[in-house]
Amino acid sequence: MLRFIVRRLLVAVVTLIVISLVTFGLFFAVPSSPAKVMCGKNCTAQDIAQVEERLGIRDPLPEQYTNFVSGIFVGRTFGSGEFQRECPAPCLGYSFRNDQPVTEIVTQRAPVTFSIVFGAAAIWILLGVSLGMVSALRRGTVFDRFAIGISLAGASMQVYFFGLILLYLLVYATGLLPFPTYTPLTENPAKWALGLLLPWMTLGFLNSALYARLSRAQMLETLSEDFVRTARAKGLPLRRVHTRHALRAAITPIVTIAGLDIGAALGGTFITETIFGLQGLGKATVEAVQFLNLPVVMATVLLAAIFIVIANIVVDVLYAVIDPRVRLS
Amino acid sequence: MHRRARTLSIGVLSVALLAAGCSRTTDDGGSGKGNDKAKTQTGSISYEAADNQGPAAAVQGATKGGTVTVLREADFEHLDPARNYVNVQQLTTGLIYRSLTGYKENGTGEMTLVGDLAKDPGKDVNGDCKVWEFTLRDGLKYEDGSPVTSKDVAYGVARSFAPQLNEGPHYIQQWLYPGGEYNATYKGPYDGGKPTPDGVETPDDKTVRFTFAEPHCDMPYAAAMATTAPVPSAKDTKTNYDLRPFSSGPYKVKSYQRDVALELERNPNWDPNTDPLRTAYPDGFKFTFGLEAAQIAERLVADAPADQAAFTWTDVPPAVLPRTASGPVAERVVKGPTQYTWVLNINTQRVTDLNVRKALNHALDKDAALKAIGGKAAGTPATTLMSPTTAGWKAYDVFGTPPSGDANKAKELLAGKTPELVLAHANSELRTQQAEAIRKSLTERGFKITMKSIELSSYYDEVGRKNNPYDLYLGGWGSDWPTGSTIIPPLYDGREILPEGNQNLSYFNDPGISAEIDRVRKLPAAEQDAEWMKLDEKIMREFVPVVPVYYDATYVLHGSKVGNAYLSDAFGAFQVNNIYVKQ
Repeated sequence: MLRFIVRRLLVAVVTLIVISLVTFGLFFAVPSSPAKVMCGKNCTAQDIAQVEERLGIRDPLPEQYTNFVSGIFVGRTFGSGEFQRECPAPCLGYSFRNDQPVTEIVTQRAPVTFSIVFGAAAIWILLGVSLGMVSALRRGTVFDRFAIGISLAGASMQVYFFGLILLYLLVYATGLLPFPTYTPLTENPAKWALGLLLPWMTLGFLNSALYARLSRAQMLETLSEDFVRTARAKGLPLRRVHTRHALRAAITPIVTIAGLDIGAALGGTFITETIFGLQGLGKATVEAVQFLNLPVVMATVLLAAIFIVIANIVVDVLYAVIDPRVRLS
Repeated sequence: MHRRARTLSIGVLSVALLAAGCSRTTDDGGSGKGNDKAKTQTGSISYEAADNQGPAAAVQGATKGGTVTVLREADFEHLDPARNYVNVQQLTTGLIYRSLTGYKENGTGEMTLVGDLAKDPGKDVNGDCKVWEFTLRDGLKYEDGSPVTSKDVAYGVARSFAPQLNEGPHYIQQWLYPGGEYNATYKGPYDGGKPTPDGVETPDDKTVRFTFAEPHCDMPYAAAMATTAPVPSAKDTKTNYDLRPFSSGPYKVKSYQRDVALELERNPNWDPNTDPLRTAYPDGFKFTFGLEAAQIAERLVADAPADQAAFTWTDVPPAVLPRTASGPVAERVVKGPTQYTWVLNINTQRVTDLNVRKALNHALDKDAALKAIGGKAAGTPATTLMSPTTAGWKAYDVFGTPPSGDANKAKELLAGKTPELVLAHANSELRTQQAEAIRKSLTERGFKITMKSIELSSYYDEVGRKNNPYDLYLGGWGSDWPTGSTIIPPLYDGREILPEGNQNLSYFNDPGISAEIDRVRKLPAAEQDAEWMKLDEKIMREFVPVVPVYYDATYVLHGSKVGNAYLSDAFGAFQVNNIYVKQ
């Protein structure tokens, strides 16, 4: 098991190095000069040179990259003289627009995105899997048809449509819920949950659809397998047959998809954050793109990649836990 | 420079509309029965003791307490006084720090410029507008209780020369170092520079004196900009000052998370008796950033308990306009003209025939051009060069054409010719729609128009090149203070035309008008207003370098618990100095 994990981690590190190289190259290959953008309209060549020096983009590209990477581990310093700025490790760059290290910006914004995604994921997995399981067990009943109908509706809707409808119905028209806000969980858990209820409901409902359909199909398949019949024939209680035997076998592909979905959601919550006016990583990325705040863009792109890579590792490990056959190979 | 901020905000607006999946309606939206509170300007400078003394007049029915929420699309660009050049920023920082002078307003259009930190709007020492002296009030304190001194004002001016802090207005700096770039010789107090620029003296802790080589009778107005806000050198955190300006006003920064939120709380060391401008009724302000224009409008229309003490500076988008036109919501609309006028510049280097320029004025359908960007809520058709919020403004109409244009008169002036003209426009959604409307009316009325789309972010750079290949292009301009001296000279003085970076976009150049500009500039401030207005009319009557298209308007909402809501005449936006939260 340990060897398995170590091997997966090594592959992940290589992946991340490649991604960081590509994003780095991409952003410094763009024709627009970030220094010129930052400097404004009435800017002399001398001013631009000064800004470039502050940004650390006057050195040759390979050196810039090694500076960037070493900054992550040991920190670095930007600019010189009265305008010198320290960027402690892990330094993902320094945003002169915000006048703060990018790491600080990211750690301020990340909890918002994490709260949205993990809260919603809890809803969509629980709701989706239980709906699918019950539908499978009561195949052909009214409940089954109803649940499948609902999930079809959910699967065919989009966040920016369903979210706006919920906003209108629950906030603008009736005032049942407050407009979403983010309060740190540690500050006030009730306010945290209330403020995020709408995005959770939206994402939870939309994503649960896929899970319901998938787990229904998987359950139906495993329920007809020989080992389930054997378990039933041995006289095991039905509940035990369904959860310990059938569900465990049915859930492996769902874990894979859930892991990838969560990883992707962490890096792609821009639309949800925009609709609900929440200031998470997604919005930080798009704002940074608008203002050509390259250090922030690079950091968030890299983070989104890290989320996916981590999600993949977690999925692989969970897979091994759930399905012993994976470990053996 | 006031042009830039506006273009940006329009750009952001169109992006927001796209992101929210909204489309603009083609009708002209709600006509609104709200409070059309910005009246024609009667601005003046007052030395009356009654106007210049604190405390500010109490607002009837106002109560202390509560927190006002401000809903915004994006964060402020800068709060640092040296970098502060956008109207809503200036209104916001007016709560945090004070300048030498300021605008006293009550929402009725009676606006007077009075002393803020200074006891009065400044003393013209020799009567030639070259030496200006300001004396600070007694009892002025910063948030830590230390006294505000004239040295801090001088230091604030000094640091505004620093190239790292170059985003603010540069009037006073340019007047101190005339000829050439404002900071070519003096680059601020950093990296070994002198602590104060030439021409700025502080004979004692209460007095600051400015000495200029040329007469600048506008100094009391220039001193109202954040350039003269005091910055104690010990508290100067340079580029970091943006995030935490040191308070000399009624509020101080409690917390500021860039792009997320800014919170202000009371500065207990501010003494209302030293302040003729601010009543400071609310206990605090909370600015929320990163919302869409449609979200803001919907929330304010819904008026949920959490949003009742909220307001916005973001115009209501066309999709929400109809729902603000009647009922209780209409009572919460604040609308009126801003200081921006939009004109269709005629490149006079290329279009030299005066009759063609006159025909353009008759042919253009101003109503259609306005409809394309939101109708009445977006503005009203214009006939003058200056905005109605300018001191001394008087309506005139040289051509007497209806706002929808007059095809017959246009064709008569063209006398059978079909001039071929190139119409350039910024490539944003709104500006493209508007250019299409302009092209349509001109084409129908005797012109042959070729459209040329320009990238939004480089629009003013392109049309600002002297030898640009375009004949017609829109341009908006807002004055930096409400007098003609920051409108007519930058836009219509031919001697200021440069190879690139021009503000005079019609490249209008007449020695007679330039001489007039020099004459008016030297008049005492009070006499200038009427003269700028006369010059405005003279330019349009004799030279026709532009087609005035519309006076920009703002149309915003506030929650039901916001009291004393009115538009600032000086800034063309919701004024915050005297609002209160209804209990």
